Amino acid sequence: MPRAKLVLEALAFVALAVIVWLVPHHVSDFHARELASVGIYFIALLGLAILTGYSGQISLGHGAFMAIGGYTTAILSVDHGVRDLWTIPIAGVVAGVAGLLVGIPALRLSGVYLALVTFGIAVAFPQLLKKYEHLTGGTTGKILTLPRAELGVHTTPNRWLYYLAWTIALVLLAVAWALVRGRPGRTMQAVRDSEVAASSSGVSIAVVKTLAFGVSAFYAGVAGALYAISVFYVNPETFPILLSVWLLVGLAVGGLGSLAGLIGGAALVYYLQNHADAVARWANHLPGLAVDPKQPGIPSIVFGAVLIIVMLVLPTGIGGLLRRVLYPLTSRLYSRS
Amino acid sequence: MRVFLLCVAVAAVCATTAGARRAATPGVSSTEIRLGSSVPLSGEAAAAGNVARGADAYFKYVNAKGGVLGRKIRFTYLDDGYDPGRAVNNTIRLVQQEQVFAMFSTLGTNNNLAIRKFLNQAGVPQLFVAAGATTFGRDFRQYPWTIGYIPPYSEEGELYGRYILSHLKKAKIAVLYQDDDYGRDLLAGLRKGLGKKASAIVGKVGYDPTASDVQPQIAQLKASKANVLCIFAFGKFSLQAFNGVSRIGWKPQIFVNDVSAASSLMVAVPQKAANGAISIAFGKDPAAPVWARDKGVKLFRQILRQYGSNISSRDLIDGYYVAGMGEAFTMVDTLKKAGKNLTRDSVMRAATHLTERGNPFLLPGIVVKTTPSSRFPVTQVKLQRWNRRAWRPFGKLLSVRP
Repeated sequence: MPRAKLVLEALAFVALAVIVWLVPHHVSDFHARELASVGIYFIALLGLAILTGYSGQISLGHGAFMAIGGYTTAILSVDHGVRDLWTIPIAGVVAGVAGLLVGIPALRLSGVYLALVTFGIAVAFPQLLKKYEHLTGGTTGKILTLPRAELGVHTTPNRWLYYLAWTIALVLLAVAWALVRGRPGRTMQAVRDSEVAASSSGVSIAVVKTLAFGVSAFYAGVAGALYAISVFYVNPETFPILLSVWLLVGLAVGGLGSLAGLIGGAALVYYLQNHADAVARWANHLPGLAVDPKQPGIPSIVFGAVLIIVMLVLPTGIGGLLRRVLYPLTSRLYSRS
Repeated sequence: MRVFLLCVAVAAVCATTAGARRAATPGVSSTEIRLGSSVPLSGEAAAAGNVARGADAYFKYVNAKGGVLGRKIRFTYLDDGYDPGRAVNNTIRLVQQEQVFAMFSTLGTNNNLAIRKFLNQAGVPQLFVAAGATTFGRDFRQYPWTIGYIPPYSEEGELYGRYILSHLKKAKIAVLYQDDDYGRDLLAGLRKGLGKKASAIVGKVGYDPTASDVQPQIAQLKASKANVLCIFAFGKFSLQAFNGVSRIGWKPQIFVNDVSAASSLMVAVPQKAANGAISIAFGKDPAAPVWARDKGVKLFRQILRQYGSNISSRDLIDGYYVAGMGEAFTMVDTLKKAGKNLTRDSVMRAATHLTERGNPFLLPGIVVKTTPSSRFPVTQVKLQRWNRRAWRPFGKLLSVRP
């Protein structure tokens, strides 16, 4: 069984890579940029899925880890002249270390208490950014250089962002996949399902939980760095408290414990943030509805309504839907081998 | 020979059409001019989004009267929730996807800072930004495609300083300010206006824009024994400041900056604290009785009723709408001045050579004036005093040109 499944998943990954490679040839330059943003949220959601989906720890503070990554990139490239491309791994490591540090006190907490602590981090972090103004630029923030193709690639800034975001996303998807399929993933799931059983089987719960936090924050940091590069500006408002909530929503919509389904969650996070007016205009075609997309609050209402509908229709998220659709096709494959 | 002539003719036609195609400006056709903007329509600053709604109504009114030199203005404004990252996304969408000719009246200092580099590199005009940081009018050498609109905050602070200097000899000043560039600009201006008397500032307290309440700061300022209070705040904070002053029985002469002095806010605070407060104005306040029979304000109401969407009676006394119409009026003037052969270059030339008199939405006598090296369109204001539940302008027009 494992081998057939492995081959199938590897094939799916190759197919995804091919699609990712082909897409820019068929969409406009601007849409390539939008899809790059989806890729960036996808990376952040992958990290959150490792933490919440596999090790069972809820984080409402991932926006703060994205901010750490984004600010690392901004400070290194604006104040120290480092090329923004090379700041991405550094941003991931800095955020990852911050994640490890948060992971240690988080050991004593679980469930809703952990969610509250991480939310506290998301709330407090923008204030810290303002406090250390000489480093972060305070409320004025930092203006980065505009993105342009590097490494000898000749393409538009938007397509460059697309390839950059999705190449990193695919690599990190493969890493996450190897992680959750292998021993680390099994120990994480064991800890999630029963800490007592896991520790009596010799699993060090502290190490597993802290590492999960660190890896997850690394992903968020990379996503934050890419986000900073793509909007070439950071200030405390570019990583609002709501971002952490959006990420958790994206995870729920993508489906806990399914990595590829997260692309759908990431798309929802991006489009509902930036195209809620289009959704509202579309909703006007439904009978009995008349909403003015320009009225204050409409985007938030649309966001809430779409969320409720998605959760009612797809309680297991897009990943769950994929599995339900594909299960009849693949179950024979598994059961035979 | 005939074949040769034909070839020449074909070549000539090709050359002219190719030339015409190269010269075509994005967002301008023979029938249409596309303008874009990014404003907060959701989130805490959503009320300010009415600036774009006011401008939109005015453009529709102009379109109904035949447009600008035969072209209709199509104005697309998107919600950024006051998040600069989303403002960048919106701007790139408007420039690359919607192919706008220019950005107009994008709102917020940080949001405009975030998009300025991109617009200047792309050569897209960033016209009449709705933000009071001096940099938008001053740094045109580095950012030639950008121009401001409203009087800079620092000059506003300076004006209060000069007024205190000449009218309140024994002033001991306390300042409540928002602890970011916006509040600090006002404070620095106040200091400059006071000049050698800057020591008259006996207490100043900054508050964080994400704070929940500023009433403790007001109590702290009262303890400094000041008799003048400057409120350089925003929205709910200025409301809380007036409440705090009233609650602790303090009776200072209050100065409140323009952005936090909306009539809708002032009627909601305790009147014994609000009465006598001084602020500045450059647009007509539709809630003020002095303008009740004014032609400009009548026009404003008529346009908003006819071309606004979902207009309530509260919108008809909302100064943000008038501010948007005032800017839109200047925008239309600029487009007219740029002429029939509209290009991004010609519109920048027009925007930096304005002498606009009689903008019906600004105070009478204000001349919207720019030159290539002075890109502050509105630099005349009047002082106004809050009395009997309304702002009442007094004195003559004052210059706040940096």
